[in-house]
Amino acid sequence: MHSSTSPSDARASEIHGTREGALPPGLRKTAADRPGQAQPVPTRDVPTRPWVRIGTVAFVSVALLTGAWEWNARANIGLRAGDIDDSAQFWAEQRRLADAAPVTIVGDSRILFDTDLDRFQQMTGVRPIQTAIAGSNARALLESYANDPDFHGLLIVGLADLSYFRPQGTGYAGSYLKNFEKNDKPAQLSGLWIDRFLQRYVAFMDSDYRLSNLLPRLDHGVRKGVDSPYEGVWKLSETFDDRQTFMWSRIESRGYLQQHARYAWNLFKGPPLPPFIARNVVTRSAEAVTRIRARGGDVIFIRPPSAPELRKVEDGRLPRAKGWDLLLAGTHAKGIHADDLPQAQNLVVPEWSHLSRKCATVFTDAYVRRLTQLTPRLKLRADAPPPLSRSDCVPATIASL
Amino acid sequence: MIFNSLTFLVFFGLVMALHYAPFFSWHQKKINLLIASYLFYAAWNPPFVALLWISTVVDWWAAQWMVRAKRERTRKLWMLTSVCVNLGMLGYFKYGGFLLQNFVAVAASLGIVYHPPGWDIVLPVGISFYTFATLSYTLDVYLRRAAPAGSFLNYALFVTFFPHLVAGPIMRPTELVPQFEEPRQARPNQIFFGLALLTLGLFQKVVLADGFLAPVVEAVYDAHGSAPGMLDSWVATFAFAGQIFCDFAGYSTSAIGVALCLGFAMPDNFRFPYGAVGFSDFWRRWHITLSSWLRDYLYIPLGGNRHGQARTYAALMGTMLLGGLWHGANWTFVVWGGLHGLYLSAERWLRGRFKGFTPGRASMVGLALLTFLLVNITWVFFRAKTFAGAGVVLEGMAGMQAKPAPLIAAGPMIIAMVIVSAIFGTHLAMRNTTLEAVIERTPSVALAGIWTLLLFAVIIEQGQGSAFIYFAF
Repeated sequence: MHSSTSPSDARASEIHGTREGALPPGLRKTAADRPGQAQPVPTRDVPTRPWVRIGTVAFVSVALLTGAWEWNARANIGLRAGDIDDSAQFWAEQRRLADAAPVTIVGDSRILFDTDLDRFQQMTGVRPIQTAIAGSNARALLESYANDPDFHGLLIVGLADLSYFRPQGTGYAGSYLKNFEKNDKPAQLSGLWIDRFLQRYVAFMDSDYRLSNLLPRLDHGVRKGVDSPYEGVWKLSETFDDRQTFMWSRIESRGYLQQHARYAWNLFKGPPLPPFIARNVVTRSAEAVTRIRARGGDVIFIRPPSAPELRKVEDGRLPRAKGWDLLLAGTHAKGIHADDLPQAQNLVVPEWSHLSRKCATVFTDAYVRRLTQLTPRLKLRADAPPPLSRSDCVPATIASL
Repeated sequence: MIFNSLTFLVFFGLVMALHYAPFFSWHQKKINLLIASYLFYAAWNPPFVALLWISTVVDWWAAQWMVRAKRERTRKLWMLTSVCVNLGMLGYFKYGGFLLQNFVAVAASLGIVYHPPGWDIVLPVGISFYTFATLSYTLDVYLRRAAPAGSFLNYALFVTFFPHLVAGPIMRPTELVPQFEEPRQARPNQIFFGLALLTLGLFQKVVLADGFLAPVVEAVYDAHGSAPGMLDSWVATFAFAGQIFCDFAGYSTSAIGVALCLGFAMPDNFRFPYGAVGFSDFWRRWHITLSSWLRDYLYIPLGGNRHGQARTYAALMGTMLLGGLWHGANWTFVVWGGLHGLYLSAERWLRGRFKGFTPGRASMVGLALLTFLLVNITWVFFRAKTFAGAGVVLEGMAGMQAKPAPLIAAGPMIIAMVIVSAIFGTHLAMRNTTLEAVIERTPSVALAGIWTLLLFAVIIEQGQGSAFIYFAF
């Protein structure tokens, strides 16, 4: 073996000292073998192999394999470049903008998937900051804004009842909030920028397509009594600039992925929520709303639609009167329930919980028009596009049913 | 900045380009490396670079004045100044909250209710590592084991050199400062081998530790309110043994590879520790640079084995308890260290009692397995955030949970056990050799194939840029 890392070949032994041959070949001493003395310059062996050739073959092979992986992601999975993975860093970037923004959205995946930011901006001239987080408790996010003395804007809180009224836990929002300050650091920001740049050209960089996400999913529930990874939600959405998120087109088409998504929700089954939980949630929400209003901000709640199959279970566990209505009464806040928007009825909810991409635009159109009636902070522009209706997003074959 | 990030890849590419640019002198290249190292650290939290500067300047001058001092007392004073400043910073940032918390608890037990203001201090990443590195400089000079560095630039680069800065290996000045004295250029073979080591380290961290082992550990250790059964408890603890090794050894291997690409040699920090037979063997293989640091600057000054049995055991326990506390400001880490201290003491006693015993091959395997199992018991305290949490897992391991709940799905469990078995088997098989020696005997085609698979796995795993566990220490 050659001794390595020398200032020059000729001076190698001078700098490193001689090879320590007290141990069998291949074993070099470590600090553990030299108690109570100054440690010498370490010896590092470089195995006598043709490393340049080995490395070249490896890099070329990796390039070919990665190309094949990318092809598979695009051709067979349906992933595409430009779909930017959502992340805590991406969220933090938007969150930092919220303090200076007139309108900010928080909530869970429903308001995240179901809001078309472009449409919102076309109608009002204001582009809201999207800080909703899939799989999170909107109340935790509401409280985080309530605790931010610099937030003075209008906060739109989108909620799925069973998520908002969960007795405890913040869902994925917990780690996003906990690491918010950390994600402001140069290393995180530069990582986000490089990652986003690459994702504009590469499709396989999708967290749902990670090796450790795919392999465990081969287990379809072998062990009884524990949820297998297969039963968890897989890719549902695509995310673009400003965290504009829409349902992934493959979930919209009938087939295995749509069925799996419905299966993963397990219809949100569970026991009815005890009334004291709803009361507790309302009390905490009211405190948060009061704090935001005291600083000159405001809060409006929105309840996006869900499919009848899911809605039945949701209402069974927490009827509107015991959840949504109680929340508005308790917080003295205004709210928009999808049930109350005529243009938002019978929209397409492919996997029962989130709207199709086109119907997200229709729903946004409907709720923004209502918003402009509820708050003076938003006005409908004179040149706002004409209202949309169900027929703008529901395929003709279904609409005629 | 962390090795498993896209930012680091860009950073490292630029550093390599500057380091091998023909138009810079060696002096200028060292300045480039120093600036790059500060940027590496500042990328995490810029203001904390000031701590590095304080540590660097104080220890530089302490060593200088120590050498110039004519009286032993003055030398001691400068040594103590260095120790106080370094440990003071470490204590404030790392143990301040812990001390306050314990003070409140003790006061409460005496009936004194005290509500201090919140101790909301951010722990500077890697402070435990560079504090120990700089301390070794002044201590070596004080103990006359080493002469002070001849140049401030070389010394500052020793403290700050980015491959070892935030998570070791904890380097001694005599290991690194001489390397900065002469121009260093790695040959192409060395650069490619360094890149291979970097790939191996990233594979350990990104694919094994973060991708496949961490979720299994979290399923049990973070399952608040659920009681794990025997199978889940053991599997999660084994998985943590694999995770902590792949995380930390992965960092060390990456650091060694990165340094090698730049033409510098860094010491081994791990030597197949799960192939250890006994605990003294384990500590000669696990985090070697820390265990040797503790031995040289704590255990030996405490008396070591020079003052009789009782003093030896006391020094051993004291060293391991403090070593435990070094890992984190929590009593669970102290218990972890204490258990290792007990193991080492018991082993020492047994060795004295059975002096002639030489284990055969089967006994060696059995003893290695026993060592591994007992080490796993200690990992419970290392991973659990509270004693209650540790108790839940230990009860599970002992099969004492009345209504155990299955927490780990079959797929992840099988994958984790395959990985951990492979780690244990590899360590056992390679306990008397080195990675380089094995590679030397491996055909080039196989090496190219393995490197391809490791790198491809890293790329398709993508990684989430999660920090290394030891960054928090």
